[in-house]
Amino acid sequence: MDSFATSILSQPYILRSILAIILIAINASVTGSFTIFRNVSFLVAGASHAALAGAALAIVLGMYGIINLNPIVGGAIFAVFTALAAGYAAKDEGINTAIAISFAMSMSLAILFISMIREYAARVWGLLMGDLFLLTDYDLVLMTISTLFVIIVAIIFYREFLFVSFDMEGALAYGINATFVNYLLLTIIAISVVVMLKGVGAILVFAMFVAPAAAANEVARKISDVFILAFIIAALSGFFGIFVSFYAEISPGAIAALLASLIYFLSVAFKKFQKFQKIG
Amino acid sequence: MKPIVVKDVEFSYNGERILENVSFSVDEGEFVAIMGPNGSGKTTLLKLILGLLKPKRGKIEVLNLNPWESREKIQNYIGFMPQKEHISSKFPILVKDVVLLGKAARKKFSKLTKDDEEKAKEALRAVGLEDYWLKRFNELSGGQQQRVLLARALAVEPKILLLDEPFNGVDIPSQDKIVELMDELARKGVTIMMVVHNINPLLHHIHKIVLLNKRLIAFGSPFEVLTAEKMVETYGSSIPIIVCEEGYAHPLFGDTHG
Ligand SMILES: Nc1ncnc2c1ncn2[C@@H]1O[C@H](COP(=O)(O)OP(=O)(O)OP(=O)(O)O)[C@@H](O)[C@H]1O
Ligand SMILES: [Mg+2]
Repeated sequence: MDSFATSILSQPYILRSILAIILIAINASVTGSFTIFRNVSFLVAGASHAALAGAALAIVLGMYGIINLNPIVGGAIFAVFTALAAGYAAKDEGINTAIAISFAMSMSLAILFISMIREYAARVWGLLMGDLFLLTDYDLVLMTISTLFVIIVAIIFYREFLFVSFDMEGALAYGINATFVNYLLLTIIAISVVVMLKGVGAILVFAMFVAPAAAANEVARKISDVFILAFIIAALSGFFGIFVSFYAEISPGAIAALLASLIYFLSVAFKKFQKFQKIG
Repeated sequence: MKPIVVKDVEFSYNGERILENVSFSVDEGEFVAIMGPNGSGKTTLLKLILGLLKPKRGKIEVLNLNPWESREKIQNYIGFMPQKEHISSKFPILVKDVVLLGKAARKKFSKLTKDDEEKAKEALRAVGLEDYWLKRFNELSGGQQQRVLLARALAVEPKILLLDEPFNGVDIPSQDKIVELMDELARKGVTIMMVVHNINPLLHHIHKIVLLNKRLIAFGSPFEVLTAEKMVETYGSSIPIIVCEEGYAHPLFGDTHG
């Protein structure tokens, strides 16, 4: 058996998975952090399951020859739609309830569509579980384009996003088109979620997306540190997942998500300990 | 020119009438308090003046403009401090960034100058928190956070200040300091409307009071407005009123042993 280091070069699937982890870590950092700031982590679960329904619908439509849509694109449309609908239903209060309802709705739709496409259902289940080692070049291109889009929007609207996350009313009063900015933020969060979907799957997206930024947010001294730390935590967890699954046949996404969640709990404990020391 | 004119304004949320028959006008450099029980429409009134809500009937003019139609224009002259319950500070935003947010948004986030920073520092000094410039906002006490939000409103050098319960959780010496600052700003021509529950710390400094309970109960000088009758009409229970040495009528909220 080859060593891990030589396989990186000889096995394209490992190289692809490493590239995917870097892209995932960028999303976990940029939009993951804003998810924490805006306090909408539940949206990640909502959007990822909506994406499942969207992907399933795309397959159904293709099966009946109505329209030929890439399942991931179908997923993205559904995820963004869910994010906007939740944002609309909630205005700025109680967004989590609105997300919970749309979560329930999209799961029902996903199961409904999947039941219509029995023979292709595996493709949708693939999105539920994800697989870092089964990514195609095409997947990577899609992931890269979406990630670039997310980064550009986040750079242009950085301060607006912060202001809206901090206080919606203040943002409105100081002349920010807060409604638009809020929808835009929810949209790029949904897009980021879909970027990750193929790699880590709908079930684990939540951990890979929310845990690194949440952990970073606990220990960071300033906002820029949250972005940097979130990237590092997500990338390390991802690489570790790939490394372990190279030697043992376990899901790399599961290892990565597990590690990211562990780091979150450790950083909460670290924060508590720091406070305790200050008092003591 | 009166900077704020409100005429026969009516407003409803989802068909439920929140404000009706509200008329008053405020002169330049006037310091006005808004009082009324919870849910009486105080925040709603401020949002109408800011142009964030559209009156169902009646007319509002802010600096001679219709705030709903010319929101961007009038907002350039207004410093606003929201009620703190509506703020989320789960992330490590620095005090300095919070104070500069208003100014930065005004400038459409083009580069802030040294002068903007100086103004922001000055505003923070005005609320007595000059040493907190680089502290994390979410590690301050509730009252300190409140004062930072006030500094954000001051930092835009407003012609009109709209403050929604700026004293919640703020200690008495800081309240006094802020009232003195308002006094000074009003004398320089800044028009101030401030929602308060306890009028006493500012009673000697304000020019007018708006007494609200879903409609305008009274508008005028403290002497005209703070009467036993009007308090009953507003709050639904009698509130003892004590006249101090300087002749001001002080309502004694929850302090019946006074
Ligand atoms: N966004 C909203 N949608 C529907 N109703 C609202 C909304 N905001 C406020 N209300 C209602 O309008 C009424 C007045 O609210 P407002 O916030 O103006 O009261 P307030 O005088 O500021 O009260 P408080 O002292 O509690 O701050 C309340 O009955 C409230 O329930
Ligand atoms: Mg209010």
